[in-house]
Amino acid sequence: MAPSQATHTPSLEKLVKSLKGQSLEASIEALIFLLKRRQVKGDECAQATAHILRQVVAKARWQDVDQLLSQIQSAGSRLARAAPHEPVIGNIVRRVLGLIRDERQATIPIRPSPAVLTSTAGLQVSKSMFNLLSVAEPDGSPMTGGSTPLSQATQPTSVHTLRSEVMDGIEEIMDEIGQADDQIASFADIQIHPGDFVLAYQPSKTVERFLIKAASRRRFTLFIAGLEPFTNGTSDAPYATLRKKLSAAGVNTISLSSNGLMAYIPRVNKVILGAKAVYQNGGLLVDSGCCIAAQVAHEYLKPVIALSPVYKFCPEDPSYDVSRGWLGNPSTYVSYGNGPEVDAIVVENTVTDYIPPELVDVYLTNLGPQTRHHIASILADHYKTEDLAFSMQLD
Amino acid sequence: GRRPSMPAVEKDARSGIPECFSHVPMAKRIQTSQAHKDVHPAVLAVGQQMATFGLKDSISRLQATMLAFRKVIESYETPKGNSLSRHFVPHVLNPQIEYLTECRPMCFAMGNAIRLLKAKVNKFDINTPEDEAKEELLEWIDYLLHERIALAEFVIARNAAQSINEGDTILTYGWHRLVEKTLIRAKKSGKTFGVTIIDDPYERGGQELAKRLRQVGIEVLYSPNLGGLRPKVAAASNVFLGGEAIFANGSLNAPSGTADVAMAAMNAGTKVIVLCETINFDRERVSVDALTYNEIDPERNTADNFRLLFDNTHDKYITGVITEFESGGGNSPAQAI
Repeated sequence: MAPSQATHTPSLEKLVKSLKGQSLEASIEALIFLLKRRQVKGDECAQATAHILRQVVAKARWQDVDQLLSQIQSAGSRLARAAPHEPVIGNIVRRVLGLIRDERQATIPIRPSPAVLTSTAGLQVSKSMFNLLSVAEPDGSPMTGGSTPLSQATQPTSVHTLRSEVMDGIEEIMDEIGQADDQIASFADIQIHPGDFVLAYQPSKTVERFLIKAASRRRFTLFIAGLEPFTNGTSDAPYATLRKKLSAAGVNTISLSSNGLMAYIPRVNKVILGAKAVYQNGGLLVDSGCCIAAQVAHEYLKPVIALSPVYKFCPEDPSYDVSRGWLGNPSTYVSYGNGPEVDAIVVENTVTDYIPPELVDVYLTNLGPQTRHHIASILADHYKTEDLAFSMQLD
Repeated sequence: GRRPSMPAVEKDARSGIPECFSHVPMAKRIQTSQAHKDVHPAVLAVGQQMATFGLKDSISRLQATMLAFRKVIESYETPKGNSLSRHFVPHVLNPQIEYLTECRPMCFAMGNAIRLLKAKVNKFDINTPEDEAKEELLEWIDYLLHERIALAEFVIARNAAQSINEGDTILTYGWHRLVEKTLIRAKKSGKTFGVTIIDDPYERGGQELAKRLRQVGIEVLYSPNLGGLRPKVAAASNVFLGGEAIFANGSLNAPSGTADVAMAAMNAGTKVIVLCETINFDRERVSVDALTYNEIDPERNTADNFRLLFDNTHDKYITGVITEFESGGGNSPAQAI
């Protein structure tokens, strides 16, 4: 684990730095390359996607809103296809598409019939209602919408303003991504109480930040589970920096080098998980093995708290691939040098798990703790109905 | 596999153990020179192998112990003015047992067998001639090894193999002797079925099992860890598990991770069958969690790297237990001892 983390962090940085000097096409290809090699993964995917889409807005050739939408859609779906196991890419694409649609309504006068105007400027609900009605095309592409011909006159100036508005919007999304972990961490002392035994499964950056924040306010004991068996005591201990920071704050950590977790769960008060994605049914996409942590906690009625920034909430249902787990390279576990008898064995190394919604008690987002019932309204607030079908355009 | 390397500092091997697990025992290496002078060389060797986990599962430990005790009995001579029935247990047998327990906490099968052996010695009349008593003890040990281990294994594998249906998918965790015997036996009887092996990456016993099953032509799906467990148990028709012991309340003591698999399977509606010899049953002790009777992995015993060897599978996660005497629900074998 450790060496790959060390190499993929600079990859994203390098990519972002290279964006200025490169052509748009080269930048997109560069990210696709990194995604396919899983050198950009997890939280970085969101940031990287936003960067690339910003480049699309800045550099791609487009004359009006619809061309921009389709440019974003095509670049976005190329990225999403490069890493189908990272649904957060699709979320960012949808967010940007929604942003552009908002700008269209705000900046381009659609020779207003007063009724429409009031409804667009009005409540959030009526706005999405408007969108719902305005896109009747079954294929989900609003290319032929009535706005284009009407607004042609104002095009030259509006392209310029639209570009800067959308880029500002993307920057806001990037800020949101950057701040989400801190915002989630600010809820730490509500969730973690003095004397708790907390189990964290392969703590992600979000979870680490949360735990460190909690340690500044509370004395608790942390179990870290889900370590790779290859990192034995002699090499650099996993999560060394996290452990050091926690122990400086007076929090004990115990690294469980264990496959099963049932043995420890009687000691544990709560389980903290970092989600890779939250689906609209409330199910979670998580690292492989994480599901067992949620299952044992559920059996013993210990709360399962899933940390997930809002941008990881996907307006779709988990696919078959998600619910059975994405498969990874098995050669880390079995050497094919072992001979022909190994050849005939099917080795499945799943790299993701799916946690069904009934095993999750709290979704802790940057907007605060949520329950399963709030997910629908969070999704409605962040995505436009027209863009929900985005993932279906992948195939 | 387990490397026979232990921390160089032997004295405070327990010092790094987190406080909340400080009550759990742990195997430790004792220099043969530090052992009690009365410990028989055969027992010394067995003790070393147990401390280094060369002898790991309960049955191989029981077997080795009994064979070593056989040597102890053979070389035993009653001192003048004593009788075997009075002298043997406190002065000869107990130091051996103490040493073995120091090397690694006794498993439940060893506890049972030693209790039976002591009862056997105590039953001798004070005037029983030494040769006769020794002969009887040796015969009893042979009987125990044959009936409770060899024959039990045969019967359990036969009964369990019969419960496998054509086209089944059997899921198992790690490696257990009885499960391997069962699967190979079922295959040899002409049944076609698949096996899913969920391995423990800290033990990797499942990999060896996978190869041996593959060699007899069984379709094997191998998963190196508990990742993706939920869909895998749901796809299986039966789960076969082996274990170290079954307690009086019907819960199973087995390698860590077994309880996770059993729980996931039960929740997915898949049957969980435990294979276990009755010598492993403990009808006095009760265990409701993994922190009551357990052992710390001596290679991972600090806060940086900690592992319990066993876990406790509640009997609600067990559909049935197959023993050499009978098959039944999680609780019924407790009466079968």
